[in-house]
Amino acid sequence: MVGFLAEYMFTVIYLSLFVNLGLSLFGLFYKPHYVKKLIMLGVLGDTLNMFAIFLGYRAWPSPTTPSRPPILLTYPFENASVLVEFTSRAVDPLPQALVLTAVVIGLAVMVFLIFLGDNLFKHYGTLDMREIRRLRG
Amino acid sequence: MSLDLLIYAVGAVASLMSVVAVYLALVERDLVKAVIYSAIQSVFYSLLFYLFMSPDIVLVYLPVAGGVLPALLLVLISKTERFERE
Repeated sequence: MVGFLAEYMFTVIYLSLFVNLGLSLFGLFYKPHYVKKLIMLGVLGDTLNMFAIFLGYRAWPSPTTPSRPPILLTYPFENASVLVEFTSRAVDPLPQALVLTAVVIGLAVMVFLIFLGDNLFKHYGTLDMREIRRLRG
Repeated sequence: MSLDLLIYAVGAVASLMSVVAVYLALVERDLVKAVIYSAIQSVFYSLLFYLFMSPDIVLVYLPVAGGVLPALLLVLISKTERFERE
């Protein structure tokens, strides 16, 4: 029963992330305003980052084990069982490093796009994409 | 009642609330409100990051997506136009 409930709620999280992905793609392609496109691009990047984190996530070895962070306190290990427990509990650090970099790069890209939007408004006097397409001719 | 189940329950509620926030940001005509809804969505995402064992990403993601990006988008809106036309 507990396993079924945990699996059900994990599926709810996963499916709602897919719904977010679809909504952000719809907003990115079909909303005419530039700022709305920027907001939805941010949501799209965050959802993809969340999928990368889910790749590295690993549940606790048994559901009844109280979860505690895997911290190595003593460096010269007295025996190998400390390391065995650590590797059985720790999540994959590689997607986390990737996402940490992707968040910062996403910030830089978004600042560039905001600057581009400011220049777009200076040139055309509007940020509505249909209007800009009509003005370009 | 194990702690595992509690983590998944809080995560499920947070992800459903983030779907609501994304939908409201999608349909909102006032762009200031849309930016605020996307900031709420990023707060729920940072809660999900924390529940799925990556607190180091929360430390970066929460100031960036919850503070800096909405502030810069609000600066862009204040320099340009606020309402999205039909």
